[in-house]
Amino acid sequence: MSHSMKRTLSVISESLVEWAIRICGWSAILFVFAIFFFVFREAVPVLFTQLDLREFFTSVNWRPDSRIRPQFGILALLAGTASVTILAMVISVPAGFAAAIYLSEFCGRKPRETLKIVIEFLAAIPSVVWGFIGYMVLNPIIIWATGAPIGINILNGAIILALMSVPIIMSVGEDALKAVPDGYREAAVALGASRWQIVYKVLLPAAKNGLLAAALLGVGRAVGETMAVLMATGHSVQIPHSFLDPVRTLTATIAAELGEAVEGGTHYRVLFVIGSLLMIISLVVNLTADLVVKGIRGKQNA
Amino acid sequence: MPELFDRAFQYFIAPAGSDERGDGTAARPFQSLERAAALIVDNHRKELPAVKVLSGGDEVELVCLERPGFGSPLRKQPRFRYFVAPDEVALAGDGTEAAPWPDLESAMAGVLQIHAGRQLRAGDRIQLTRREVFTAGIIERRKVAVDRLAKVVLAAVTAGLVLPLLAILSYLFTKAWPVLSWRFLIENPQNYMTAGGIWAPLVGTLYLVAISLAIAAPIGVLAGVYLNEYAGDNWLTRLVNLAVVNLAGVPSIVHALFGVGAFVLFAGFGRSVMAASATLAIMTLPVIITSTREALAAVPQSFREACWNMGASRWQTIRTIVLPNSIGGILTGVILQVSRAAGETAPILFTGAVFYVAVPDRGLASIFPYSLNDRCMALSYHLFTISTQVTGVSEALQYGTAVVLFGLVLMVNLVSITVRVYLRSRKRW
Amino acid sequence: MVEPGHATHIAFRNVTVRYGAKAALQDITLAIPRHQIFGIIGPANSGKTTLLKCINRTIDFVPGVKVEGEVLVDGENVFSVRNVYDLRRQIGMVFPLPVGLPLGVYDNVAYAPRMAGVRDRAELDALVEKCLRQAALWDEVKDRMQMLGTKLSGGQQQRLTIARALSHRPKILCLDEFSIAVDPVTTMKIEDVLLELKREMTIVLVTNLVQQARRLADHVAFLNSSQLVDVGPADVIFSERPGNPMTFDYVRGLFG
Repeated sequence: MSHSMKRTLSVISESLVEWAIRICGWSAILFVFAIFFFVFREAVPVLFTQLDLREFFTSVNWRPDSRIRPQFGILALLAGTASVTILAMVISVPAGFAAAIYLSEFCGRKPRETLKIVIEFLAAIPSVVWGFIGYMVLNPIIIWATGAPIGINILNGAIILALMSVPIIMSVGEDALKAVPDGYREAAVALGASRWQIVYKVLLPAAKNGLLAAALLGVGRAVGETMAVLMATGHSVQIPHSFLDPVRTLTATIAAELGEAVEGGTHYRVLFVIGSLLMIISLVVNLTADLVVKGIRGKQNA
Repeated sequence: MPELFDRAFQYFIAPAGSDERGDGTAARPFQSLERAAALIVDNHRKELPAVKVLSGGDEVELVCLERPGFGSPLRKQPRFRYFVAPDEVALAGDGTEAAPWPDLESAMAGVLQIHAGRQLRAGDRIQLTRREVFTAGIIERRKVAVDRLAKVVLAAVTAGLVLPLLAILSYLFTKAWPVLSWRFLIENPQNYMTAGGIWAPLVGTLYLVAISLAIAAPIGVLAGVYLNEYAGDNWLTRLVNLAVVNLAGVPSIVHALFGVGAFVLFAGFGRSVMAASATLAIMTLPVIITSTREALAAVPQSFREACWNMGASRWQTIRTIVLPNSIGGILTGVILQVSRAAGETAPILFTGAVFYVAVPDRGLASIFPYSLNDRCMALSYHLFTISTQVTGVSEALQYGTAVVLFGLVLMVNLVSITVRVYLRSRKRW
Repeated sequence: MVEPGHATHIAFRNVTVRYGAKAALQDITLAIPRHQIFGIIGPANSGKTTLLKCINRTIDFVPGVKVEGEVLVDGENVFSVRNVYDLRRQIGMVFPLPVGLPLGVYDNVAYAPRMAGVRDRAELDALVEKCLRQAALWDEVKDRMQMLGTKLSGGQQQRLTIARALSHRPKILCLDEFSIAVDPVTTMKIEDVLLELKREMTIVLVTNLVQQARRLADHVAFLNSSQLVDVGPADVIFSERPGNPMTFDYVRGLFG
């Protein structure tokens, strides 16, 4: 092949490759927005017609299968999600922060590497395995420890969720602490501060945005979790009165009922509405976490 | 004679009324405080011959004996404790820790003054501590104690997270042990899934993972290349980045809903391997894009500029310098998503995974049992089924399934960690 | 003003470059003669780097940039050239911070020829050796050709950059404050190299070291705050009466 032909060929193949890259880029962008689109699409038909939004948010009566008058109140489900999430956060946020502080400030180099790998493994455990642990292992333990009639309840789900969200709280929290400039630490040491004093008086205030973001991401994970809560919190659609009550979360409801709902029917579409709600919640949480983190970056560059 | 490297120097004094001329040893104790003081100062003078010049932390102790030669029961705490300052501090103090005596001579003079009227009793000890230049005072000691406490508490919390988990996991393994064998993996579920193995679900998971990876990895990596190397910094790019990053946090059940809406219904795949794989692909896509971008961004911009200035095009630069130096990070990201795709249940629940499908036990068809239009079994869904939906399944079987699923995911993660560690050792800049 | 016998190689005609609202270069008109060392001096942020980037059109990579006017190389406007990669291959560029690509030394220098399609091993060997010799680096690396470019010392990496720049046989060599991150011994070696190279190519040397310009430049332009203050032969610029009194102040170190 002549040199100029080779040149032309290479120029053409270059352009082809660059076009392929561009197409992939654009299609990925498309898919990303498609997720929003298709979920809302299935939800919309029922949204402003058959679904009474006031009843939706304020009623505890979730009776989608009733022949006489189907009711779609998700208050009990919201309570279920909220109770499990809040209890889980009460456990996992302080524990996660403590572990993050330990890893970042008090741990030696070798143990830290090992611990980080262990935490990574823990983060990789599939949610159905966590649900299994809650259902099979934690269940009898809770019955034995608290004397409750059933062991699958808020407490069970909260413990499982806490263990699931700790890795992300720890790793984002550790990043936040590491992001505090060394100059702060050095200045504190020069003033005679001990390690704990540095953490308590300097690092925690300086990293509070990043730590807040870590907690938010943990919340996001907990709210969005499906299989683990499906298996560990039970099936009772009710507003709970104690941590030993079984509940149903929003996510578990969709998972449990979509299979039986008639395609295109009202029940089916309301489940999509719940899905849209979940998406909005998780988006808000993630965006807030994003903004909070960008807040520090902006401030530090100022 | 006290040795040169001792840190505590003990001298002995007789209670009162002894006429011996002692030299401070236990056998021949000093007879009076004045004599003791004089000899001690002599022993520890700065000029030679001194026993030892006191340095930080050294202690001089005067013990009052009952009788010469008689060791008296020592009380735990010294009854009188005074401090001598380091040489550099010249201020006159009064022997307390905060304001020590400037030197040994004034210390002994001070001791004499304090004990002028009082008689020493047997067992009394007078201790002179030569402070270090930076000796821990009360405040410092408290700081160290709090520090130690903090470290212990935090370590305990961390252990409290990690250890129970390891305990649970070993428990799972122990309960699963009876069933774990090669046969377990290769055999199909029998007898309404109460017996047999997990071949059909295992193969199903491998199918789903392979197909979803084949879709998501190329698109995700190339999209990441586009976003990091080609796209300008305008509002659209920023919006896309925001969308991609936040999509990574979408609940898995919402992915299932999307899969139903987009692939099962809109695209017409129905509930099938195709729809389920596509759903998994979309689930893993955002994270592959993000981790690719991060891996690419880690390559210094100066390399790219050097190539551009030599007349290389963007793609040539990417092909020859950027990609080879970021492929490790990209691979790690993709592998991690493989493990995620293998473990997820919700996205495949209504898009293609099914309770039970009869899969041939032998032959080629047992290795490739599913076509793109079929529904399939999957390991994650199988675990859910046999633990919550089916009765009569032995515990070992359930635990065994959990362990295999968990082990599979862990192995994949191990591969990714190994790649990462290997790369770190081969850092090229 | 161009001396007879040295035709204009590069010409700037009313070139204005804006990054957003800020003007990096304002109405620059100058002529760079062939086969000479053209020095560009001036304080920081005066637009010197921007000027270089216009010559080989790496200004294109700066987001949000607007360029007015013409930059002519051999009479042709670079902004309307058909193949910009060809243009860049004719121009060698050396940056302030030394850059060794994460390849072997050999591959660093062979990068551009390979991109251009040279495959013959013997030809590449010869080219690599020639460029490394010209860059005064050959003796130090001839036994370590597989060593990663990133692991060389700063001074060696800068000479490696020059060797890379020479490897695509440019007609113009641009250097942007090349000695900032480099030790004095290497700087001297490179300066000798430049004096050799000007026989074969036109050299545009941006520097904030006035003494360096004195040592090397035949022709000098003085930029300040994105404007061209003065331009002329070196002996005029560095004399008691340059074209613009501000030049005198700058050269004597009264500001900048």
